[in-house]
Amino acid sequence: MTSGRNWPFWVLVGGLVVGHFLLHLAIGLGATAPDLLTPAVLLAARRTRGSVAAGIGLGLGLLQDSLSLDAFGADAVTLTILAYLGSRSRDLFVGDSAVFLLVYLFLGKWLHDVIIYLLSGMPGQDESLIWLLVFAPLAAVYAALAGVTAMAAYRSVSGER
Amino acid sequence: MGNYFDGTRRGRRRDAAVAGGFLLLAVFLLLLPASYQSPLRSAIRGTALRPFLAMQAELAERRVRSEDVSQLRAERDSLAAVVAAQASLAEENRRLRGLLGLRGRAQPEFRPAELIRAGVPGAESTFFIDIGAKEGVVVGSPVLAPGGLLGVITEVDEHTAQGIDWTHPHFRASAMTSDGDATGIVEPRRGRFREEDLLTLTSAPFHTDIRPGTRVVTTGRGGIYPRGIPLGTVVGIDEADTGWRKSYLLRPAVRPEGVTHVIVAIQREGQGGDLSPLWQPDEAADTGTTAAGTAAEGQRP
Repeated sequence: MTSGRNWPFWVLVGGLVVGHFLLHLAIGLGATAPDLLTPAVLLAARRTRGSVAAGIGLGLGLLQDSLSLDAFGADAVTLTILAYLGSRSRDLFVGDSAVFLLVYLFLGKWLHDVIIYLLSGMPGQDESLIWLLVFAPLAAVYAALAGVTAMAAYRSVSGER
Repeated sequence: MGNYFDGTRRGRRRDAAVAGGFLLLAVFLLLLPASYQSPLRSAIRGTALRPFLAMQAELAERRVRSEDVSQLRAERDSLAAVVAAQASLAEENRRLRGLLGLRGRAQPEFRPAELIRAGVPGAESTFFIDIGAKEGVVVGSPVLAPGGLLGVITEVDEHTAQGIDWTHPHFRASAMTSDGDATGIVEPRRGRFREEDLLTLTSAPFHTDIRPGTRVVTTGRGGIYPRGIPLGTVVGIDEADTGWRKSYLLRPAVRPEGVTHVIVAIQREGQGGDLSPLWQPDEAADTGTTAAGTAAEGQRP
């Protein structure tokens, strides 16, 4: 479990969540702004038990879902699965280097978009391949870079290695 | 990093069971009927996301103040002209019907509103407006922009409402050519990019040829959209369906991405109304000039 000394990390996670809704909802930047919610869940998942991570994923997914008319619950399901997998990934991969984080966040965000696509079928069937192989990876790179940058800023402030 | 996990097998099993419970709850929410999901969505929007929605409304207000005043004035005047023309036509219609001894026909009323976009994945083709049930908005209220039909309201809270625009896959409207020769159903047709989205008039009779440039408007059937609201202009034939039906591509009357202010038609059940005169094209029909637009020009200082 997390210790009390970890509160700056949770400030970072909270900041990413607030930043996500600030950029996407309050300012209305849409796809111009990176997805910060998925990196927030994935980063939190690396420091919590699977059950806690799944709870965080469910809660944040519902926040996102409340804006969707078509697939309420799709993001909740997706982020719950991702958070649990992210938490269990510590059993397989130890380390928090920038390169590892980049790959981890990239794969996590891509998997997020694939699951969301399967649950809600956002784009039309004709463009699904282009969407999954071109647009989703681009969005994943964008989100991963944003997550790594936020983590680097956190480490420089907190002094964590 | 510290040890964040309970390493025992039993602890892990318990952990997986709790996570599985959360997943089941999420799946349950996903599979809930839309009528049960709606109050949950409203509750979350009204609590956790309320500050962000309020901030967006505030920012939109500030943006409006700093934007090009002449463009905004033109948009506002066009909307005002639609309302004003509606009022004068309603009065004229009432007098004529009175002279003929006919009962008054119900017409929708209008409420101006500001349009807000959520800008998150899953909320594409949807929008919020800053008026709701208190102002008379109901599920199914048509949302109009100066050019024509933008979309329809699908969920109503006390002071806000959410709707879909015509690019949403569920959007459908009963439509006809402005001369009434051909009828069909208008539905969205996705482009490679959202800016390339178009409309199609499907199920048009095969024997009728609709010329490019013909305006397509709502028929008023179905009880959702009043008659005569512009949907788009025919660009060309889309496909001929095995000798029975034809589909036509339409250039939409309204591009959703450019709309910031709208009017919402408040109509009671069973009251259709005819809005054709508001958008009657003048001689330069293909330029998109409308009676409402012309009236708006006259209003500008």
